[in-house]
Amino acid sequence: MEQVVSDLTLCKTVEVGAPPERAFRLFTEEMATWWPMKTHSVGEERAETVVFEPGVGGRVVERTLDGEEHVWGTVTVWQPPNRLVMTWHPGRGPETAQEVEVRFEPSGAGTRVELVHTGWELLGDRAAAMYENYDGGWRYVVGERFAAAANA
Amino acid sequence: MAYAAAITALADPTRRAVLEQLRLGPRPVGEIAARLPVSRPAVSQHLRVLKDAGLVRDRAQGTRRLYSLNGDGLAELREYVNGFWDEALAAYERAANSETEGDDDGAGRE
Repeated sequence: MEQVVSDLTLCKTVEVGAPPERAFRLFTEEMATWWPMKTHSVGEERAETVVFEPGVGGRVVERTLDGEEHVWGTVTVWQPPNRLVMTWHPGRGPETAQEVEVRFEPSGAGTRVELVHTGWELLGDRAAAMYENYDGGWRYVVGERFAAAANA
Repeated sequence: MAYAAAITALADPTRRAVLEQLRLGPRPVGEIAARLPVSRPAVSQHLRVLKDAGLVRDRAQGTRRLYSLNGDGLAELREYVNGFWDEALAAYERAANSETEGDDDGAGRE
């Protein structure tokens, strides 16, 4: 079962030309300049911006055109320009928070940015149980497609 | 964020227990309630939340209603989150790299 649960760690990597200091600041304090607000937000069409408050305890907050605030998560580790960890619960309460860790490693003149999304143990036990029960799409998605993505 | 409903639904231990019962196969409400320390109306309520979250489906069989797992629901959840970060990080990558290209103010090759 542990195997299945650990397969549910989502890991994504991108290489960017900017050095770590710049890549880190762009990801955090300048998140609003690139984050796809209209599709990746709680308010969607009504979403206006996202504010990433730097430092431990800082919140990642979406603001909507109606003046509403939706907290996506809170920074728990702040080590610029190498690493940050935040809780992650957009669209739901902090009691179901998952965790997102982002690492910035020098790579040539640029930076290798690795994002790890964990906290699936909430789903993991159930997912593992269902994995046994479902030979079709679920097994494919978790066992092959997702593992491939996680290992990419 | 569509996957939020499924995560929120599964955050409740009773709902996870209900889902666990359905692992064994399709069940009517009464049978699920009989195996859990929860009233039948409460189980119905949990089933409704799970159904709304796309994790459970139901169908009529004679005079009763059978509930079963909706395997597509969790698969969709996974795909959704996977695609979510792909798209967000692609936007980040474009932002970071467009700056780098801007530095050499060359003749804007893609």
